[in-house]
Amino acid sequence: METLNSAVDDLARSQAEEATLAALVSQYAGALYRVAYSVLRNPADAEDAVQEAFLRVLRHRDTLDEVRDQRVWLIRIVWNIVLDRKRRAKTRPETDDVAELARVLPCDGLSAEQLAAAAQHHAHVLTCVDKLPVKERQVLQLSAFEELNSVEISQVLGITESSVRSRLFRARNLMAELLNHPRSSK
Amino acid sequence: MTSTSQNAYSYNSISATGPQAVSDSVESTLRLIARLPVPEGLERRVISGLNAAPRAVRVLHWPAALHPSRSWMRGAAAAAIVFVVAGGGWGVYTRVQPSQPARVLVMPPRAGAGGGFSSAGAMRTPQTLNGPMVANPIAAQSNKDQAANSRPAQVKPLNKALARTGPMTHARAQAVAPNKASAQPAVSAAK
Repeated sequence: METLNSAVDDLARSQAEEATLAALVSQYAGALYRVAYSVLRNPADAEDAVQEAFLRVLRHRDTLDEVRDQRVWLIRIVWNIVLDRKRRAKTRPETDDVAELARVLPCDGLSAEQLAAAAQHHAHVLTCVDKLPVKERQVLQLSAFEELNSVEISQVLGITESSVRSRLFRARNLMAELLNHPRSSK
Repeated sequence: MTSTSQNAYSYNSISATGPQAVSDSVESTLRLIARLPVPEGLERRVISGLNAAPRAVRVLHWPAALHPSRSWMRGAAAAAIVFVVAGGGWGVYTRVQPSQPARVLVMPPRAGAGGGFSSAGAMRTPQTLNGPMVANPIAAQSNKDQAANSRPAQVKPLNKALARTGPMTHARAQAVAPNKASAQPAVSAAK
């Protein structure tokens, strides 16, 4: 009788965990995908990163109740996965990614000439972003997400909020220099 | 619509070189990336991947009677552990012999320890004999000559045998002696 009760409890617990996990996926998969795509710039790689992030959540589902902010926690998980993948795939040239991404970006309502110019501009901006130091680049990339404020960015990166602000300030200044004087910069 | 207006703004701001304009241009590009549409079916694929992932396996499933939450089961397990540890210790204690005192061999005092030369371990070996000696070789030869003169037909094979065996030994000379005794009367009779 006790065996039957324990089996029923296990079944109910596993079903509840599955339901919680499905809710997390439906709520945050899109945000995680965009965070992954902003760094990896490849749809398949970004989707793999999201999948791996939820697999890690599945492995640590026992500690899911202890997490205060699940959204920031999930973004931090996928951010670490993405950085790890980016570090491993460093041998691949990034110029192709930039050109492909600039072509994919939405440019509705523009003429063909404006589309070509906009794609060229986006590619130039992304190339300059890649030239930024790592710390400033990470803050700048995360600040583009409207879902994240400076406090949440500091939680994702594991730094203080004042560090986030100072890095963001430096990143903007460096980007202005790079875009205005591209040849004077390294 | 928002992205279109932002994109047009960013495109128009390429020529504007003010820091605020540059910053807006950069962030508008990054926001475009951040707002990219999620591919269709992403959630379904993620959930199916999670369902296909291997779950943690429970290796042991205790039956209800032996469940660890029962106190008597814990007591029995503790007793079994104590019994095994104590039994192992007792087995080791009974099998290992206590160390015996070392045996000391007392060496006799050396005779020539007072000084002088030592033999350096050399042993005296007695002189051995060089083998059996030939007794009266000359007499044996004369007897042989006499026998040859008296009975040449019978002595000849003996001489051949002696020649084959080499020098006459003492034992062989004694074996020849009866021939000498039988040949002597014939010689004297011939004289």
